[in-house]
Amino acid sequence: MILSFFDQFMSPTHLGIPLIALALSLPWILIPTPTNRWLNNRLLTLQAWFINRFTQQLMLPINLGGHKWAVLLTALMLLLITLNLLGLLPYTFTPTTQLSLNMGFAVPLWLATVIIGMRNQPTAALGHLLPEGTPVPLIPVLIVIETISLFIRPLALGVRLTANLTAGHLLIQLIATAAFVLLPMMPTVAILTSVVLFLLTLLEVAVAMIQAYVFVLLLSLYLQENV
Amino acid sequence: MLSRLILVSAPVLKSSAPLGAGLVQASRSFHTGQQSLAPVPALPEKGGKVRFGLIPEEIFQFLYPKTGVTGPYVLGTGLLTYLLSKEIYVINHETFAAASIGIVIVYGIKKFGPSVAAFADKLNDEKVAKVQEVKGLAVSNLQQAIEDEKKEQWRAEGRQNLFDAKRNNVAMLLEINYRERLHMVTSEVKKRLDYQIALQNLQRRMEQEHLVSWVEKSVVKSITPQQEKESIAKCITDLKMLAKIEQARATV
Repeated sequence: MILSFFDQFMSPTHLGIPLIALALSLPWILIPTPTNRWLNNRLLTLQAWFINRFTQQLMLPINLGGHKWAVLLTALMLLLITLNLLGLLPYTFTPTTQLSLNMGFAVPLWLATVIIGMRNQPTAALGHLLPEGTPVPLIPVLIVIETISLFIRPLALGVRLTANLTAGHLLIQLIATAAFVLLPMMPTVAILTSVVLFLLTLLEVAVAMIQAYVFVLLLSLYLQENV
Repeated sequence: MLSRLILVSAPVLKSSAPLGAGLVQASRSFHTGQQSLAPVPALPEKGGKVRFGLIPEEIFQFLYPKTGVTGPYVLGTGLLTYLLSKEIYVINHETFAAASIGIVIVYGIKKFGPSVAAFADKLNDEKVAKVQEVKGLAVSNLQQAIEDEKKEQWRAEGRQNLFDAKRNNVAMLLEINYRERLHMVTSEVKKRLDYQIALQNLQRRMEQEHLVSWVEKSVVKSITPQQEKESIAKCITDLKMLAKIEQARATV
């Protein structure tokens, strides 16, 4: 059976039924719902603490109008972190490696921030296209550049997440294959490769969490500009 | 482990807030037990015991009667060997990736597990301590109020003595006043009576003097000139006799 390294990124189907829905919904079971008790077990206490701290930190620089986005952004962060970290386990499928999913998150949310800005404060929103203190001859060029950068934002958001995770998973596969293949031939090199694999795994754990956080942070930044 | 996950998550899903009440009804399809959501049953103190962090103790207990202590371990080893030798589980590059992530996870849990658990316990303890502090403050305030109340009761008892003393004072003042007035009354009456006595005495004296002067006057009036001459002659003869006696005494 010819297995290419990209088979891990194929959206899973079983007997023609797409399983991506399960892949997106089952991770939520690992996040327990808060009970109506006053004192909970350790997992719930930690989860509640984390969610509260994260939302508080995220909403600090955003004024009151943007606080409507608190639940959405925190939920998005939880989902991305869970999906990313679960994808590091062997034989799992990471939905966030699919560009379609990430663009599905990035474009609507980015567009929402732009529309909110244009609707509520059009002058200020358009004013973001011209940084302060630019020399007068540069203004037309800068406007064009800033517009392009504005429209590249959703693309950047989606592709950043996809690329980081895909690259990470791919690297893990490649180095693991290298170690596996080298093991009968040159065990010492195989051990070195395993060390590299171990370090890479550590990096991937960090990347998984950081990329999720960056996604949500940038969205909050766009919101801050426009709300 | 996943079986326990399902066992745990089902009641959690059931007790999720908006569906909670409805699902309590749904789960009572055979009408067993009480229909109530409160009081909330107590949480177990510790989570279910596991060996190797994955396999619940219940399996070991389940197999103990038939296979003793080593039963589950033999089962596990046999299962693993069977999967590997029959190539049901193929060792490939994923195994290496699994091994490395497995090492990361196990190391992370062993190293940071206790401190994270202590942190979670600390969060809960702080919550309890905050409320206990309020309760403790309320209790100490109430105890202070009880002591103050006892003191006030003691003071109230002492007030009886004050009233008695005041009552004595007032009674004494009244007594003094009464006696003064009595004394005044007696002295006034005595003054009146003395006046009457003095009046009577005066009356009597005046009568006496008047009588005496009248008697003198009448006597003087009654002395006729004849009597006067006779008395004067008598006196002269008496005097001459006395003089002779005297002269006789003198020469003797």
